[in-house]
Amino acid sequence: MSESEPSPEVYERGRGMDAHNQVMRDIRSEKEKTYDPHEPTRVWIDEDNTPDGVRQSLTIILNTGGCRWARAGGCTMCGYVAESVEGGSVAHEALMDQIGVCLDHEAEEADEPSELIKIYTSGSFLDEREVGAETRDAIAETFADRERIVVESLPDFVDVDKLEDFTERGLETDVAVGLETATDRVRHDCVNKYFDFADFEAACKSAAEADAGIKAYLLMKPPFLSEPEALEDMKSSVRRCAAVDNCHTVSMNPCNVQRYTMVDELHFAGGYRPPWLWSVAAVLESTADVDAIVVSDPVGHGSDRGPHNCGDCDDRVQTAIKDFDLRQDPSVFEQVSCECEATWEHVVEEESSYAAPLVR
Amino acid sequence: MTDYFEVHARDGPARLGELRLDPSLTTPALVDDRVHDAGSLWNEERETPEGDESTLTVLPHRAFPAGTREEVVDSFAVDYPDVDFPSAAVVKSDAAESATDADADAYVLSDANGFVGHASAFRDAVLAFTDAVPADAGRYLAGVATPRNVAVLAYAGFDLFDAKRARARGLEGFYLTSEGEHFLEDLDELPCACEACRKPREEFTRADCADHNANALAAELAVVRRRIRDGRLRDYVEGQARHEAWLTATFREFDDQYGYLEQHTPVLRDAELLAASEDTLRRVEIQRFADRVTSRYRNRFDNPLVLVPCSATKPYSESQSHSQFHRATQFRAHTVSMTSPIGVVPMELELTYPAQHYDSVVTGNWTEGEKAFVANVLQRYLERNEYPRIVAHVPPGGYTDIVERVEAELDLDVEYTVPDHPTTDESLANLSSTLSGELKFPKREREHNTVKAIADYMMGPGAGDDLFADVEITMTSRYPKLQIRNANAEIEGHGGENAQLATMVPQYGVLSFTLEGARVWAESDAPTKRVEIDNFVPRGSVLAPGVVDADDDIRVGDEVVIEGPKAFAVGRAVMSGPEMVESTRGIASEVRHCEET
Repeated sequence: MSESEPSPEVYERGRGMDAHNQVMRDIRSEKEKTYDPHEPTRVWIDEDNTPDGVRQSLTIILNTGGCRWARAGGCTMCGYVAESVEGGSVAHEALMDQIGVCLDHEAEEADEPSELIKIYTSGSFLDEREVGAETRDAIAETFADRERIVVESLPDFVDVDKLEDFTERGLETDVAVGLETATDRVRHDCVNKYFDFADFEAACKSAAEADAGIKAYLLMKPPFLSEPEALEDMKSSVRRCAAVDNCHTVSMNPCNVQRYTMVDELHFAGGYRPPWLWSVAAVLESTADVDAIVVSDPVGHGSDRGPHNCGDCDDRVQTAIKDFDLRQDPSVFEQVSCECEATWEHVVEEESSYAAPLVR
Repeated sequence: MTDYFEVHARDGPARLGELRLDPSLTTPALVDDRVHDAGSLWNEERETPEGDESTLTVLPHRAFPAGTREEVVDSFAVDYPDVDFPSAAVVKSDAAESATDADADAYVLSDANGFVGHASAFRDAVLAFTDAVPADAGRYLAGVATPRNVAVLAYAGFDLFDAKRARARGLEGFYLTSEGEHFLEDLDELPCACEACRKPREEFTRADCADHNANALAAELAVVRRRIRDGRLRDYVEGQARHEAWLTATFREFDDQYGYLEQHTPVLRDAELLAASEDTLRRVEIQRFADRVTSRYRNRFDNPLVLVPCSATKPYSESQSHSQFHRATQFRAHTVSMTSPIGVVPMELELTYPAQHYDSVVTGNWTEGEKAFVANVLQRYLERNEYPRIVAHVPPGGYTDIVERVEAELDLDVEYTVPDHPTTDESLANLSSTLSGELKFPKREREHNTVKAIADYMMGPGAGDDLFADVEITMTSRYPKLQIRNANAEIEGHGGENAQLATMVPQYGVLSFTLEGARVWAESDAPTKRVEIDNFVPRGSVLAPGVVDADDDIRVGDEVVIEGPKAFAVGRAVMSGPEMVESTRGIASEVRHCEET
């Protein structure tokens, strides 16, 4: 796959993928809402752990017309494709309007300009069909005075020329790659994402040539895996990513149930439970020794549709995870405990994928 | 080929089975420590496991959870290998068909979480699943059993369970019993005496609670096994399921699936059937009796009809009240008993299952549901059977209401003989004088009509006349152990003069045939239930692999004619016809008599 272009036409092969795509297209077609191309999908300010330390960050979800792969069907857990514009592509001026809205937001919400800029597109920022060369250059110029920029992309679009728009302006540059898992079989059959770990390794190498880094995004517990299978998949994935040169950060994120997805259908029917926060903590704790920053940002923690424990301890465990993100100190997890750990241990010990979820 | 699972007994869809591991296990049962999961194919390619004789190996699988769409199930379907060790295949309830090529010993449902807890969804899943997998394969419902739901799960036809959910609930602080689910912290005392509960309340932890839950589940399964052996699981479920709405809804949903239940329900049992709720009216045994009495049976007496109330003592004729009725009628009337929940019982069928096997809760107050049911059966009965006179020797209240309803509906003229109570001197004298002038029927007529009525009931409309149309029968021995013999020596090959053809079995009120009788039956116009066997001479029983074909309408307990290239035999079915054909293990039919041909 590493030579290929990520067009739906090329991706669409294999029986399992056909079925996943067919179902996902059908599910997505239920969503009718469209979005204004002059507004970003979301924007917020936070703090992030970077290779240079903890920094204030401005996170932008750019509305670029959505993910091309999602139009073919796409990933089983991803509902962001719904957040796209009518017609499917967004002009340069509209994209720059979105950036303008984000800068206004930052000026309003933060005292200082953020040192870290993170741009996600629910697709590939480096795919020129989503974000043209002119826009990419203009955005690089807009943020040239910041310290670091992260842009999201599939591994196929990672190449030296595009990244040099940023690195040659003196920005520390990272590409966020939605690898989801280091296990090809899980990425293909459970997530329905069609590139291989080898493509990710190649992207890490390409980025290095432009003096950029790679931040790997992992997905804990795609559909069809039991809790223990999901846990093991993440433990090994974190290690395998961290072992790749130039992959300096791994963001391991528990799956949440998004509307208009296959995961949503399974969850509704009783066939899916988001991972336990104890599982997230267990991965972070057990991989604390790896040579990379490992973080996690559970979305919707404590709710039925997000990663959760028993309801009593969710906030405390979430706090420990966020604390670990900033300090990378596994002892933070010794500070939290709950009776429900015994239930979680039982699930990890006893749950098989044919009898899941064992506990809601 | 299910080498490692065998069904030994059936009680409706529920089965008493044997998981033939080393050592073997009687099911329904927990299989936690007897199952090995060879792993998921979603996350890893896997070799066919080695397997071993002491463990049920769940073959490498792609489990499709509840909510997985058909396209995905189809495209990721697993080709299960055919292996020679005890194995189970994982299937989705509505897509089990595709996995049956492997001939696994058991099938595990991957989508139980989607239907356990929802009565109609559960019913649909069970019907689709059991229809697709071989009848003699074990059925494993993993990760959902609790002490409260497992009786209904077994009643629906599942064999294998585990304690994983029950343990999880314990660790979550829920104390489970067959009647409920309690917050552990709210329990001042533990309502159980199992090993885990034999400690002071304040020392009882959630881990202990998990152990208790598993113990309670195991104990409940032992109750279920005992009930299946006794043929009394339904009576139990009618009561126990009432502790949870969805469980009650579930067995009612199955009652609406008469075909599914009927196929699996024996036509005779020697166990008591307790009618303690109106749900009993909807039982297969009750519905089947009512149906056969009103569509197969025909009255052959010319005498007036006397409707009488049922008695607690069974058979009715042995009760004090019926003895009194009998002294008043003196063979001058055809006596039919009215009863909830059976409907109406003509005197010839008073021994026939379940007429002498049921017991009901008697308060004298009839519910509207009971009245409607009995009135409906009586009406159908009277539409089919004409009488010169109809006498209602029933007490005022429910019984009389019912008769009056039917009388109006069918525009009949019924004579009522009970002013107060049926056994008062006045009532009995009324009954006797009402019948004055009526002729008595002789003993021979009574005996012949009884045998014919039973044949109608067993085989179908008109069977009583067709069955022995070509022979001249005579009776020996005394009711209720009548022996039916052939008085006509002219009939070739039927054992000569006075050869015995059949015996009336007093415990069930059915006919049991001799070889000669079976030949007469097979050659008659009366419908025969046939089992076609392979080229062998059965001894004692016919095993399922030896069955070539069997009539669809054969039920457990049915009298069957067994024929093959080498043998002619008669016996009693141990499986339903479809099960005989589908199964590769187990006894299909007992053989009473057999001859090499």
